Amino acid sequence: MRARDLAEEYPLVQLTDDALTAARLIADQRRPGVVVVDAEGRPVTVLPGSQVLRFIIPGYVQEDPSLARVYDEKGSAQACISKLEGRTVKELLPPKEKRYELPKVSGDATVIECAAMMARLHSPLLLVSDDDTVHGVVTTSHLLKVILSTTGKAP
Amino acid sequence: MSPSQILSVLVFAGAYVLIATERVHRVAAALGGAAIMLALGLTNGETAFHSLDAGVDWNVVFLLLGMMIIVGVIKQTGLFEYLAIAAAKRARGKPFAVLAMFVVITAVASAALDNVTTVLLIAPVTFLVCDRLGLNPIPFLIAEVLASNIGGTATLIGDPPNIIIASRAGLSFNDFLVHLAPFIVVLMVVFVVVCRWLFRDAFHYDEDRVAEVMALSEREAIRDKRLLWQSLLVLALVLLGFVLHSALHLEPSVVALLGAGLLVLISKVTTEDAIADVEWETLVFFMGLFVMVGALVKTGVIDEVSETLAGAVGGEPLVAVMGLLVISALLSAVVDNIPYVATMSPIVGELVAAQGHTPQAESMWWSLALGADLGGNATAVGASANVVVLGLAARNGTPISFWQFTRYGVVVAGLSILLAAPYLWLRYFVLA
Repeated sequence: MRARDLAEEYPLVQLTDDALTAARLIADQRRPGVVVVDAEGRPVTVLPGSQVLRFIIPGYVQEDPSLARVYDEKGSAQACISKLEGRTVKELLPPKEKRYELPKVSGDATVIECAAMMARLHSPLLLVSDDDTVHGVVTTSHLLKVILSTTGKAP
Repeated sequence: MSPSQILSVLVFAGAYVLIATERVHRVAAALGGAAIMLALGLTNGETAFHSLDAGVDWNVVFLLLGMMIIVGVIKQTGLFEYLAIAAAKRARGKPFAVLAMFVVITAVASAALDNVTTVLLIAPVTFLVCDRLGLNPIPFLIAEVLASNIGGTATLIGDPPNIIIASRAGLSFNDFLVHLAPFIVVLMVVFVVVCRWLFRDAFHYDEDRVAEVMALSEREAIRDKRLLWQSLLVLALVLLGFVLHSALHLEPSVVALLGAGLLVLISKVTTEDAIADVEWETLVFFMGLFVMVGALVKTGVIDEVSETLAGAVGGEPLVAVMGLLVISALLSAVVDNIPYVATMSPIVGELVAAQGHTPQAESMWWSLALGADLGGNATAVGASANVVVLGLAARNGTPISFWQFTRYGVVVAGLSILLAAPYLWLRYFVLA
């Protein structure tokens, strides 16, 4: 099986899109992240859900587990949403020098090539494309399912 | 001056310039300087490692190590978060009351723990409370770090320069409590009042946002109640040990090491976690520094400088005390006060001995401590805690510029020295 066979249609967001919309896309469809494209539709990077969390949870709370416990649930949810309001997807992304390398393989890549790339980049998503043609995205869950079914250990 | 004295001064000055200008890492500069001193025969292994006057002061190194281990464990309990949130709720979110409580907590904690750890513990809660109250955290952070440097001056273990002074002068924990703590209490009261004026634009009270602070649950901050009680028990025993160390004939370093060992033994904290917060770099820096200063002692440079200074003050201890206070404050404002105090301690020791260990002469030690500790508040680079807070603020998206800090720091440091001078004069020259 090749990467193009594993690729699924996946929602794309633009750098200028609303951050709250991107977060909702991840939340409502229970996706591990979204693919970010530029104005011409070229993939730029992947925005994993964990990066959205890094943006909305203050750094001082991330570094101090004791502080994370003192929040009231309602108040903290409001604080989180307010941090996303009026922001763009670009603002959610880490600075360019720290940005995730775009996890990308060609349509001919094997299952293990796909797995190796995702493991190396710690990415829950893998873009499958040839030149300007985007075939879709491989998710960790789909890839694991394929690997397990090959060995006959799928549920 | 003999060739060995000239050589030792050159090596020491070169290393000091590198430390002060941060052209190379301070540990590399101190170790490099120590290595050159040893290689040139300006000191030797026997002196560097075993001499009480001209070698590594193991009391200082192990006292710091013991306290770092204890603090590392206490950090994991959530005690600070609990105290700060409870204080903010008790102040009912009123900005000045919150600031006053935070600076008092910081100052008291700094007297028992080191300043950098204290500000690292208080800063995250400050961000949280200010965020909830819709306040700018910068004035709060600056006030806290200033309070930390003031509070740390009160005790032997509060600030590394005090540890060096205590060891070199043979001063006890109680000596610091008797001679410095009363003044620091008064200074803290003055500082809190001054904060009301210094940061007057920062106290915007928004009644609607107070509920957001009142909704925080401080009890949840305590992650491990058993560890909290164990840590508090050991800290109390260690503080008691410091108070009684002269009567028990135990060095403060032994008390701290016993406390650290006991805490690791009775708690479920792993050894790796217990030593995770030990700042090995700082300990090695101290060792290198002591070897370098030891070479100056061994080659007789310190004796000559002391004799020259004794001649300059002409047997007038008041001139020496005031001069030391002002010069220490000025130098500590721009360079690290640890190497400064490490260098000055043997010189002050000689001056005190030359004047016959009278109470007036002994007050030079307090003058050195007050000047070096409080002078560090003047600029953003004057003390390690200042640099740490600037880094934390930048990381959390509220950067504090050098001058933003310094314009408050200069006022507080200047005021502190202005109050310290009459204190020293009255206590040791008028009322003695």
